[in-house]
Amino acid sequence: MSFGYWFCLPTFDLRCSRVSCVWYHWVPGAVTLSPEQPPPMPSNWEQRRCFSAVPPPRTAPLLLSTPQPLPADPNSCLPSPPAGSRKTIQPEPASKEDIAQTLLRMNGSNETPESYDYDLIIIGGGSGGLAAAKEAARYGKKIMVLDFVTPTPLGNRWGLGGTCVNVGCIPKKLMHQAALLGQALQDSRKYGWQIEEEVKHNWERMTEAVQNYIGSLNWGYRVALRENKVTYENAYGEFVGPHKIKATNNKGKEKFYTAERFLIATGERPRYPGIPGDKEYCISSDDLFSLPYCPGKTLVVGASYVALECAGFLAGIGLDVTVMVRSILLRGFDQDMANKIGDHMEGHGIKFIRQFVPIKIEQIEEGMPGRLRVVAQSTDGKETIEGEYNTVLLAIGRDSCTRKIGLEVVGVKINEKTGKIPVNDEEQTNVPYIYAIGDILEDKLELTPVAIQAGRLLARRLYAGSNVKCDYDNVPTTVFTPMEYGSCGLSEEKAIEKFGEENIEVYHSYFWPLEWTIPSRDNNKCYAKVICHVKDNERVVGFHVLGPNAGEVTQGFAAALKCGLTKEQLDSTIGIHPVCAEVFTTLSVTKRSGGSILQAGC
Amino acid sequence: MESASQPALQPGMEPASEPASSRFEEVRVSGFGDFCGAVEQRRDKTIFVYFTGDKDAEGRSWCPDCEEAEPVVLEGRKHIPEDAVFIYCQVGDRPYWKDPNNDFKKKLKLTAVPTLLKYGTPQKLVESECLNASLVEMLFSED
Repeated sequence: MSFGYWFCLPTFDLRCSRVSCVWYHWVPGAVTLSPEQPPPMPSNWEQRRCFSAVPPPRTAPLLLSTPQPLPADPNSCLPSPPAGSRKTIQPEPASKEDIAQTLLRMNGSNETPESYDYDLIIIGGGSGGLAAAKEAARYGKKIMVLDFVTPTPLGNRWGLGGTCVNVGCIPKKLMHQAALLGQALQDSRKYGWQIEEEVKHNWERMTEAVQNYIGSLNWGYRVALRENKVTYENAYGEFVGPHKIKATNNKGKEKFYTAERFLIATGERPRYPGIPGDKEYCISSDDLFSLPYCPGKTLVVGASYVALECAGFLAGIGLDVTVMVRSILLRGFDQDMANKIGDHMEGHGIKFIRQFVPIKIEQIEEGMPGRLRVVAQSTDGKETIEGEYNTVLLAIGRDSCTRKIGLEVVGVKINEKTGKIPVNDEEQTNVPYIYAIGDILEDKLELTPVAIQAGRLLARRLYAGSNVKCDYDNVPTTVFTPMEYGSCGLSEEKAIEKFGEENIEVYHSYFWPLEWTIPSRDNNKCYAKVICHVKDNERVVGFHVLGPNAGEVTQGFAAALKCGLTKEQLDSTIGIHPVCAEVFTTLSVTKRSGGSILQAGC
Repeated sequence: MESASQPALQPGMEPASEPASSRFEEVRVSGFGDFCGAVEQRRDKTIFVYFTGDKDAEGRSWCPDCEEAEPVVLEGRKHIPEDAVFIYCQVGDRPYWKDPNNDFKKKLKLTAVPTLLKYGTPQKLVESECLNASLVEMLFSED
C-alpha cells in the first residue's frame, strides 16, 4: 500500500568511520512502505542536495522535492514521528550504518565514504575560495585549499588571496586614493595650506607601501587558514578522475588527493588580444600594481572599469595617459553614467582614441620603462595610426581559468565560448559533488563580496543545515574612476527593457559637493539618479550616483533597495546636511519633464 | 636604553643539539641599539627576531605571555633554515615597554610582546599566535 507521508532521510558526516551525527529531515513523498528495509527513493524525487552525504550516482541524480522549509537549527536531530500519524508514518528505522550502506549500494558507488582524504577541496584561494574554507572549517570539516598563480607573461606572481587582494580591488583602491590625495593637495592651497613648491609623486614609494600591505594580507590569510586547521597548498589543482585531483607545485612535484566534494573558485586572468608584441611588451593589471618602475606615458587599451580606473589613477598621479577604446565605455553599465564618466576623464586631461584597436606593438627602446610603438587600426578598417608610449596596459577583458583544470575528465560542463561555468541557484555544477563560485560563474556578477557571500552560504548549506541561497539581486557596485560611480539595481536601459519606458520615471539632479566650492571644482558634474517603477508604488529599481565617496553613499541605499524602497519613502527621509547624499532625499525633476537640473550652488 | 649584559643560558633556553656549522646563527641582544647593530651586520641574510620582555636574575620575564610562548618558539627553531639568523631580543623592563614612545614601538612598529617576526617582511606572529606551534613552524619555514 502506498500513501503520502513525510520521508525521513538521514544525512551524516562521512569523514568518520562510524556514522556520528545523523540529521533527519522531512521531505514529502509517496512511496510503498516496507517494514523490513528503508524505503527506496523513487527516481522522480529531488535529492536534497545540501544534505547529500552520498557519492553521486552514476545515472542522473536522484531528486527529492523540498517545498517545505526545514527547521532553523542546523544541528538538531529531529525525532522520528509518532507512529500512527497519517502524515508521518515511518517504519522502524534501520541502524545508521545500514542506512548508509544501503544508500551507497543504491547509488552504485564503489568508494566507501571513509576513504576520501578531505570533506572538501577548494581549487582557488581567492575571495570566494577562502571565504568558503573559513566558513566550512567552523563546522569541523576537513578542508584543503589549493592556490597557485601561474606567472604573467612578464614573470610576475603573488601570494595567497586571489585577484582582489593582490592585483584587483585592494591595490586599485589604494592607488586611486593616492591620486585623490594629489587632487586634495592641490585643493588644500585654497583652504589655506601653504604648499610652496610643486608637489611630485614617487611611484616606487607608493608601490612599496601598497605591496607591503598586500604582503600582510597574504600572511594574514595563511595564518587564518592554519589557525582554522585548513590545509593549504601552493599548488596547481586539476581533476584527474572522479573525486580526485592532482596538485602540482612550482617545482613540478605532483601529489594526489581525494575529496567528497569540490569547490572550483579559480577566477580569471587578463585577456591578451593576440597581436604581435602583446605578451612581450605589454603589461596588464596583473603587472601594474607591482611594477618596479613608474610606467610613464601610458596607453591603456580597453573600456572596462579596469581600464578606466587604471587610466584614472595613473593620470591622477601626474602621468600622460591615453585610453584606446574599440566601441562603448563600460559595457553592461548604465550608458548615461558611463558617458558622464568618460566626459569627466576627458575634461581632466585623459586622452581618448575612440573606435580603434591596436594591431601591433613594437619595442623602440628597452628600459624601465622602455619606449614602445603602437600601431592601431580604426574599427572600420580605413585608418591606421601610430603612437609612442612608455607603457601599454592591456585591459580588454578577463578569461575564466576553467579550461586547463581537467573539468572534461569529470564531466563538468562549461560554456565553451566564454569558459564560464553554469550553476544552479545553489552554485552546483552539472556534477552534483562539484560546486563553483566567483568570477567563473556564468551570468553572475564578478565581484568579491558576491563570491564571499556565495562561498559562505554554500558552506553553511553543505555543513550547517542552512537552506539560505545567495541573493544576486540588487547587488551594489562602485567604479573607482576619478569621478566615482556607485550604483545598485537596474540601469536605465535594463529598466526600460524590463518594465517599458512608459512605466518608469527617472528622477535626477546634478549636485555640487560643498567641499568643491572653495577650490572651484567641477560644478554640475556630480550627478544623482533614481529609476522608479511607476506601476509598483514608484518602487526604486535603480540607484545611480556620480561623485566623491560614491561607494560609501551607495552602500546604505543598497540596503534600502533590498527593503523595497519607494520614491515616497525616499522623499520622506530627511537629508543630512551638508553632504552629497542628501540630494537623494530631494529629487523632484524627472527626465521625462526635460526640466533643468543645473545647480547654482548650495 | 642601556643594554644589559648578555645573559648566560637561562633555564628553559636549551642550546641546539646540531653541530654549529650546519645550524642557523643565533644572536642574543638587549635593547634597541643592540638589536639594530645585530641586524645591520647581517643585512643580506634572512633574519628572524623574537621580542620578549626582559628577564630577571632568575630567568623569568615580567611578561607572562612571553614566558608561555618562549618554549614553543625555541622548540620551533628546528625549522629555521641553516643560512638564516635567529635574534633573541629582550626589549626592556615593563615601564620601558609601556611607554608608547619607546623605540621598538615607534621605529619598528611593534605592538606587543611576545612578537616573532621575519625581519623586513610583513610576516609576524603576535602574542597568542606565538603559542601556536604550527604557526611558528609556518613562519620559520622557507616560503
